[in-house]
Amino acid sequence: MVSQAGGRIASRAMRRSWFLRVASLAREILRNRLSLVGVVIVILQLGCAVFAPAIVGYDPNHIDYRAMLQPPSAIHLLGTDDLGRDIFSRVMYGARLSLMVSTFSVGLALMFGVPLGLASGYVGTWVDEILMRLLDSVMALPSLVLALTIAAVLGPSLTNATIAIAIVYVPTFTRLVRGQVMSLKHSEFVTAAHSVGVPTWLVLYRHILPNVINPVIVQATLGVGFAIITESSLSFIGLGAQPPTSTWGSMVQVGFQYLELAPWYVLAPATMIFLTVLGFNMLGDGLRDALDPLSRSRQ
Amino acid sequence: MPSYLLRRLLAAIPVIFLTSVIVFSLMRLLPGDPVLMMLGSAQTEVSEQTVEQLRHEAGLDRPLYIQYGAWISRVLRGDLGRSMQNHQPVWEALRPRIWPTLQIGLSAWILALLVAIPIGIISAADPDSWKDWLGSVLTLVGAAMPYFLIGGVLIYVVALRWHLLPASGYVSPWVNPWQSVRTTILPALTLSLGFAAIMTRQSRSSFADVLQHAYIKTARAKGLSESKVILRHAFKNAMLPVVTILGVQVGMMFSGAVVTETIFAVPGVGRLLVDAILGRDYSVVQGVVLFITVAVVISNLVVDIAYTFLDPRTRQP
Repeated sequence: MVSQAGGRIASRAMRRSWFLRVASLAREILRNRLSLVGVVIVILQLGCAVFAPAIVGYDPNHIDYRAMLQPPSAIHLLGTDDLGRDIFSRVMYGARLSLMVSTFSVGLALMFGVPLGLASGYVGTWVDEILMRLLDSVMALPSLVLALTIAAVLGPSLTNATIAIAIVYVPTFTRLVRGQVMSLKHSEFVTAAHSVGVPTWLVLYRHILPNVINPVIVQATLGVGFAIITESSLSFIGLGAQPPTSTWGSMVQVGFQYLELAPWYVLAPATMIFLTVLGFNMLGDGLRDALDPLSRSRQ
Repeated sequence: MPSYLLRRLLAAIPVIFLTSVIVFSLMRLLPGDPVLMMLGSAQTEVSEQTVEQLRHEAGLDRPLYIQYGAWISRVLRGDLGRSMQNHQPVWEALRPRIWPTLQIGLSAWILALLVAIPIGIISAADPDSWKDWLGSVLTLVGAAMPYFLIGGVLIYVVALRWHLLPASGYVSPWVNPWQSVRTTILPALTLSLGFAAIMTRQSRSSFADVLQHAYIKTARAKGLSESKVILRHAFKNAMLPVVTILGVQVGMMFSGAVVTETIFAVPGVGRLLVDAILGRDYSVVQGVVLFITVAVVISNLVVDIAYTFLDPRTRQP
């Protein structure tokens, strides 16, 4: 009974301390003008993605041959495309797919990259040596070239593009986590946990992971921006979204054929890509300053 | 010094070897039969026997390690294989593509250098001022700008509206130097923005670091003007870390070439890779990706070696 009550108090205290930490992090981010702009852009983009059906006045796939390549106007805010579809609606719906692909690919990369980094850094020895040489070799390939090759071999589709981007990003997380684990594994709190019989997996999960997570959060945020650029580049080349599905990248691909007649066809989705990447990069920089104040003085 | 160079050279060999294994495995181990991929929609019209015959011709019916051994021994003799579509040697297809990519990449790099270093110096010399803030904004914008946005705007405004430069294509400098410069400007400008963003960030942090040193304080105490302090005392030392990102930028150049050469229809390495991928010509893809990787590893090696000449401290064991 007593221990139950104690547990409840402890969990309430933990929740409270977690809440306080998030609140102080939010204050820190909002104080920085650049990261504040980042937060606003990211929230707006998420809003567009979630509330797309409520915001737009047209079905994004509604073809209207009487209104092909119309310039921006009060009826069609960002003009129409080669099939008379409303570009504003398509850009808003495109936000859903582009954000989904980028967050899924970063999530996948985290799922594999973080445990690999934890294991490699903790175990050390030849396992670490082999894994690191392998990652060095993967990282020697330019990111887009690697993503392109994987996406090409898997076949052109949005799912495969997501997998390709995730594979490209795994080594970044693994290296990041591995470096942190190596500097922490001989700390006194880790030795103490071992000495009272805590199993290795629990030491990694409960004691080391929370101490290495901050730079991972920063990298993941910056990674979403990278993933959006990579996805749109893959779709632009024809290896991402396949018609009738369209992401910002595939809209740009078709739009380039009509650049002289209808520049808005390229500019609208390309500007959305730019703004979203900018937002995530600004947010990532702000998070880095807030979570790792030393990096600010180093920069 | 020679032992350092030797160590560095030897360390590059396993990376190149592993990369060749990765490139080879990517093409063979991931789902999808290369022969069927090559046939594409025509595969329904081709008999099973023909498919087997094609597989045998390409050596795809042999065990993987034998296929790898045969491939790598040919590569080491300078034979990157033949295109599965027109049977042209991959190296023959690749060789004329290298110069356009290098020409545009190098021009972009010089353009970026001309913009990034002054911005980096100004930002670092006056931290937390509006100039520094503007520098940060420019860096953020440059890093987030997709090639299609800047490329699209440049083509539309400079080429299609003002008719100042050609919208696409490439002319070799040996054929027509003036036209070559004209066709290089827009793709190089497009590519340079990403380079400039990284260089500005690096040069700013490097200058900010150097300006903290005691010898800078001494130079200031002697009564030297701020411009002399920066140009004569800080510049050389601050430039050293900027050199290290050169290796990374060779990788960026190839990644960027894939998109910019598609936008501007430049017959370079990036465009060759895209064409080979879209045409499912996997022996060309394999050859081009290997070439790019080796180029990146070698340029990293050259940068490391150059760094030891520029900074004597790194030579000490």
